Amino acid sequence: MSLNKFSKLFEELDSNNSINKKVNSLTKYFKSNSNLNNIWTIYLLIGKRNKRFISGKSLREYYSDIYKMPLWLIETCYTKVGDSAEVISLLLQDKLPEKDIKEDISLDELINNILPNFFKLDENQKKSYIKLLWEKITKDNQLIFNKILTGTFRIGVSKGLVTKAISNMTGIDESIILHRLMGDFEPIEETYIFLINKKLEQRELAYKPYPFQLANTFDEKIKETTSIKQYHFESKWDGIRSQIIKRANNISIWTRGEELVNKTFPELIKIISDLKNDFVVDGEILIWDENKNMPEDFSLLQKRLGRKSPSIKIQNDLPIVFVAYDILEINGNDIRNKILSERRNILEEKFLNSISEDQTIASKKIKITKLLKMNSWEEVEESKNSARNINTEGLVIKNKNSKYLPGRKKGNWWKYKIDPMQLDGVLIYARPGSGKRADLYTDYSFAIWENNKLVKFANAYSGLNNEEIKELDKWIRKNTLERYGPVRSVKPELVFEISFDNIQISKRHKSGIALRFPRITKWRKDKNIMDADKLENAMRMIRS
Amino acid sequence: MINSKQNLITQTIKGLYCEPAKIWIDPNRPVEKAIITHAHADHFTNGCREYICSIETGLLLRKRFGNNINLKTIDYDKKFSINGIKFSLHPSGHILGSSQIKIIAGSETWLITGDLKRQKDKTCKSYEKVKTDFLICESTFGLPIFNWESTDKIIDDITKWVSQSEDSISILFCYSLGKAQRLLSELNSQKLTNIYVHKSINKMNLIYKRLGIEFAEAKIYDTNLEICNLNKSLLLLPPSLNNKNFLRKFKKVRTGFASGWMSIRALKKRSGFDKGFTISDHADWNGLVKTIKESEAKRVFLYHGDGESLANFLRDKEDLNIKQLNEIK
Repeated sequence: MSLNKFSKLFEELDSNNSINKKVNSLTKYFKSNSNLNNIWTIYLLIGKRNKRFISGKSLREYYSDIYKMPLWLIETCYTKVGDSAEVISLLLQDKLPEKDIKEDISLDELINNILPNFFKLDENQKKSYIKLLWEKITKDNQLIFNKILTGTFRIGVSKGLVTKAISNMTGIDESIILHRLMGDFEPIEETYIFLINKKLEQRELAYKPYPFQLANTFDEKIKETTSIKQYHFESKWDGIRSQIIKRANNISIWTRGEELVNKTFPELIKIISDLKNDFVVDGEILIWDENKNMPEDFSLLQKRLGRKSPSIKIQNDLPIVFVAYDILEINGNDIRNKILSERRNILEEKFLNSISEDQTIASKKIKITKLLKMNSWEEVEESKNSARNINTEGLVIKNKNSKYLPGRKKGNWWKYKIDPMQLDGVLIYARPGSGKRADLYTDYSFAIWENNKLVKFANAYSGLNNEEIKELDKWIRKNTLERYGPVRSVKPELVFEISFDNIQISKRHKSGIALRFPRITKWRKDKNIMDADKLENAMRMIRS
Repeated sequence: MINSKQNLITQTIKGLYCEPAKIWIDPNRPVEKAIITHAHADHFTNGCREYICSIETGLLLRKRFGNNINLKTIDYDKKFSINGIKFSLHPSGHILGSSQIKIIAGSETWLITGDLKRQKDKTCKSYEKVKTDFLICESTFGLPIFNWESTDKIIDDITKWVSQSEDSISILFCYSLGKAQRLLSELNSQKLTNIYVHKSINKMNLIYKRLGIEFAEAKIYDTNLEICNLNKSLLLLPPSLNNKNFLRKFKKVRTGFASGWMSIRALKKRSGFDKGFTISDHADWNGLVKTIKESEAKRVFLYHGDGESLANFLRDKEDLNIKQLNEIK
């Protein structure tokens, strides 16, 4: 159980593109290592709330100080490499002795005892401590060590791979392993024993959320091939997807990101504890406008999420509701294998039964999503297109006969999203991406016309394919006007179609507008910069 | 500026130019007279009236680009004179035949390193230290993140990588001239019994063998070869064959790339190879710093790659008169 072995595993996973080979490597590794080592390995690989002991930026500054290398030079290296831990490990290769056989460190010792020391030290002490550690670690382990230090463990080993490997090894179904990996994760031996335990006990999974079912993007062909009667139609809420668990008076609210948010929404806890039955329900947390009886804009929810323990005033100013749309467990029984229409009946009949006489308080804060009556696909289309009027993202279309399954199972749930808003913008700035996209200009800023000046209105990182990114990267290097650190301003010449989900007035942005989830949907090679949109057009979108 | 009129060497759209001798160095389009530093395709252009290069470079150029080019070959270290300007070629350690060019006009000495490497390489003469007043030095890997490991370590890694493959063929992409031969000169036939090389690599090998350079035993890869026999073997291919269409014929295949750029994980990931081996025929950061210092040059120009950082670093630290030359387009 050691840094050495983990480092070797990393190297093996990193040098095989085939998923099968990765799974095999992992399985082999799990079989030949101790439980404690394995659970730390899983902890690091699935990257669940990995602790950051030192920020990447501090790490670079410490290196600069210790080895007297100018910081600007390290920063240049950083833009080339895209990862602080990797930059440092590359720079260190030259500073450490060639032959270095050193003592191995266990992952448990490292993460539990050695690294937490950083939290107790002042800046100068941190610097000497890090130097000491660097000199203790072999060259081959530097990348891993610095990645653990900065809490940036991502090597394309997803939860999926870990799940597959454990399932492979134990013969237990993947969905059960996935379930066991949900929620809190404590890297101790017991957790590993629990993960690989071949006996299944419902009780063991108490407090754990179920793996969420996700929706696929709606395929227009479905309109031709299936009958509308097969489906439930619901609004697609633009909130925080969450599961509420109530089991023997223990209540937990888990988001899809597997964060426990009981403290963020104290008003829900109170109401839930008044409900008669035990259950696990799936739904969405939203800020609700009582008068209009529809959700507020997502930006308000973001504001609310920023408060980890909100005051009564915040609770009143930004009132939340939970809209339930599925029930996965009732009074201790896992009902995910029942079909959706049956689960819906149970949700309607059993979920909101309150102990107290006054049910109105509960029904104000907790709702059950309405099923939308649709008689034809034309109506579905219309309903989707008018979603923006009621602040939803479109529709979710669910197969009445589907079980509740983890992940994106084709044919069960479809999301039918409203068409995005679009503006044509001119590329004005670019900067290199990080990680896989280091040293490649992939982060762009776009401008639109305000009178006869170009003003920046959006940053977008995604939407182009690899060929386009390469082509654009070349163009950016050739057409740079000025450099500001890693950022380049470029000749205003290229026009792109920018899509976004929403647009709002914003005082923080120069253009006066802020976009929700802007992305590039087309490189408009057919357009020149005079064809780009005007700020007035954007303003009109807000008003309409 | 390098392009001030007094300078012996100037930068032109066709490449580096020595005006008094009317000669270009590695020109990128046809000129009257050219000195070729080494036989890589991006340093050679067809259609020049006359080429001057080292004897080994001459052999390689003829093999690659045909017999009908007008070549004049010169021994290393031997002086020759054009229009009263004195020239000599010196090993740069990059690949077989690669040369630095020393140019003397009156009391002034210039040195153009061409591509260079400071690591040992059994397939070519080692880099020769040359003192100069003016230095034009390559800077392909001009950042301190580039620290080459010993050749032995990389060869060991490659050997392990191939031996550990259970049922697939290990394809290692590498430049067919220089890198491939360097690998073959280091690999051990006892440890790796099944090595195959692409015919473009073999074509170059013949010249090396004629010069007495020894290689690990390798068979020529033939497209008609039974693929199943290739399991557990190492196949060296030029990078141009790294495409899905070509690789599809191998059922189980792992790919690697041998290049200095593979030290950066993002570049490795983006290029889609399973494995990267950081082995380069260029100088790393320390190699460049050492080369520049040892030359004792009073003015230094850097070309190729990101020389700006190296220039800024040495200017601050050593108070050196140094600048980056950007490509003229």
